[in-house]
Amino acid sequence: MSNWRLFFRQRQNWLAIFLVFFFAFVALAAPVLSPPDDPENPLPFKVAYQDFRRIPNPPSEGNPLGTVPQIQNLPQFGIAPGQDASYHWDVLHTLIWGTRSAFRFGLVVSISTAVLGILVGAVGAYFGGRVDRLFLLITDSFLAFPVIAVAWLLQRTWFSSVFSPFLDVETLNFWETALYELKLNPIMISLVLFSWMPYARLVNTTVAQLRTAEFVTAARAIGASESRIIFRHLLPNAISPAIVYLARDIGGVVVIASALTFIGFGGDIAWAIMLVSARDYVLGLSGNPFIYWWTFLPIALALTLFALAWNLLGDGLNVALNPRKAK
Amino acid sequence: MAPFLFFLLKRLTLIPVTLIIVTIVLYSFVYTVSAEERASLYFPPRVPRVQSETQYNNFIQGIIDEKGLDKPFPQQYVSWLTGLIKGDWGWSPTFDAPVLDMLRLRTSGTLELTFYSLLTLIPLGLISGVTTGWRPNGSLDNTFRLTAFLATSIPPFILGLFLLSIFYVGLGWFSPGRTGFHELSMSNSTFQHFTGFLTLDGLLNGRPDITLDAFRRLILPVFTLSLGHWATLGRVTRVSIINEKGKEYLLAAKARGLKRRSIVWRHAFRNVLAPALTTSYLSITTLITGVLVVEIIFDYKGVSELITKGITGSTSLGMVVVPDTSLALGFAVYSCLLVVPIMLLLDVVKAVVDPRIREEAE
Repeated sequence: MSNWRLFFRQRQNWLAIFLVFFFAFVALAAPVLSPPDDPENPLPFKVAYQDFRRIPNPPSEGNPLGTVPQIQNLPQFGIAPGQDASYHWDVLHTLIWGTRSAFRFGLVVSISTAVLGILVGAVGAYFGGRVDRLFLLITDSFLAFPVIAVAWLLQRTWFSSVFSPFLDVETLNFWETALYELKLNPIMISLVLFSWMPYARLVNTTVAQLRTAEFVTAARAIGASESRIIFRHLLPNAISPAIVYLARDIGGVVVIASALTFIGFGGDIAWAIMLVSARDYVLGLSGNPFIYWWTFLPIALALTLFALAWNLLGDGLNVALNPRKAK
Repeated sequence: MAPFLFFLLKRLTLIPVTLIIVTIVLYSFVYTVSAEERASLYFPPRVPRVQSETQYNNFIQGIIDEKGLDKPFPQQYVSWLTGLIKGDWGWSPTFDAPVLDMLRLRTSGTLELTFYSLLTLIPLGLISGVTTGWRPNGSLDNTFRLTAFLATSIPPFILGLFLLSIFYVGLGWFSPGRTGFHELSMSNSTFQHFTGFLTLDGLLNGRPDITLDAFRRLILPVFTLSLGHWATLGRVTRVSIINEKGKEYLLAAKARGLKRRSIVWRHAFRNVLAPALTTSYLSITTLITGVLVVEIIFDYKGVSELITKGITGSTSLGMVVVPDTSLALGFAVYSCLLVVPIMLLLDVVKAVVDPRIREEAE
């Protein structure tokens, strides 16, 4: 337990805990902090007013952080049909509700990634020999896939009808309907499919070391089944380095996904979609680059702090969970 | 030298295996969509404009029958892979050009950016990690830790935008893009593209102004790309050197009266390099994704141009909307081909400095 005492003695770990709890609080309290127009079906975007002049409005009484004109209605951003280019969004509302979507995306993607990677790594290492070599070969080959390329391939194959500007839900086949109904997007799928490899390698090395440990031999001697040995004896011991990686990953996947959304891929992280809308105003005017600061600064700051929080937490956990390595 | 040659041979035979696994995975994504959509992989050059839906369906059915797109997976995969190896990467209706030619034309920009980023981040990461880790908790170490933390947390695309706001819009020091007004002098026949790297071609053509301009335009994108990776590499190196410091062989080296510099760089550094490079190894694909994102943000002409122009689903062809699978699939194969040589390079460097790795191969 002295490791946890060490964890709580560090000031930076308190900062990490504070930031994570703060974001969690904002995400949970979003309906109170910024009531949505339709409480039944809350959207992360709130229309402040309608105006065909696409100029962002500075902070005012009604919109404490100003407004941003909405992007053109592109199907891959999952914006409700019927909203046209004349809508202006309230920045504060998206800042608050975006916390929810960032949490959801980060947790869903990185936990699925971790589970996939841990399973691949553990199974390979447990059986050893040929199976292990095959699994490691596949793991290493998967390290050659850049997420952006696969995301684009998925966008043009699986999602070509779902994201079509002429989308007609009636004509979708079974799988496309599933993708559409589950609100999946290419970024999410390619991140899960192509970032599990570090987990697999991490768990593989640890399990390979543990496989010959005495307590495993003892468990086998008293007749424990293979799956019981994997799930009750090997994994719990191999999992702590994976948890450290997971904590860092939650911020990391949100950042990568936001970057992909920003350059024009779809996606459902509300912060990133608002940054896409602000794209034309970020560079400002010559001589005054930050003239439209409210269109991107609050959200960019939130995104950076979100990544920082998970990074800090991961580092703190590293010291607490893997004391020998982190010293 | 013999174990090293053996290692190299073993590593080189791994490349075709990796590429086969990679292409199987990529083709299976395409295999899951309907045969009609997959037919776009085999569009003939200059796809004929079609007048009606039935005419288009007949055209597609013709391709399916000819290429056997309703056959089982192994047959389809092998025939596609044979075409790929022969250099037949398909025709893109979006750009109305062959996929391989489009990729080849834009390769030099991407390679130049990747090369200079690696050249910046690996030495800087290793040096800063070793220097700060040798004296942990000193003032230099604390500054580095804080900076590295912020650097790993700030999203690169946001950093890029801030840099552009300050240094381009605000101060006017650097500009985005790859060539700027030199485009004109390069399009005349006297300028030869020997290497494709503008920084080198400028010198080779006796035009140092082009080289200088190319470097000026590289500064912001390279900084944006390398900052995060540099910080990560630095942090890993720092931790490994702290762990290495207490070992007895270093004490023995000190007792023999070796200079501090020699102890650090000749002895400790060699043992730290392998784990540090493994970290870079795991994040090469993130680097390549970063390269493409940064290219788009800084309008630096490279292969990412293909993504920005053809980002959403389909292209219209006369009366009907057609998919452009060959471009997306070709791009995916291409970007994996970018990653593989860098991985090989890192593995070879690791084996050069660490005899344990090359002996393991035997």
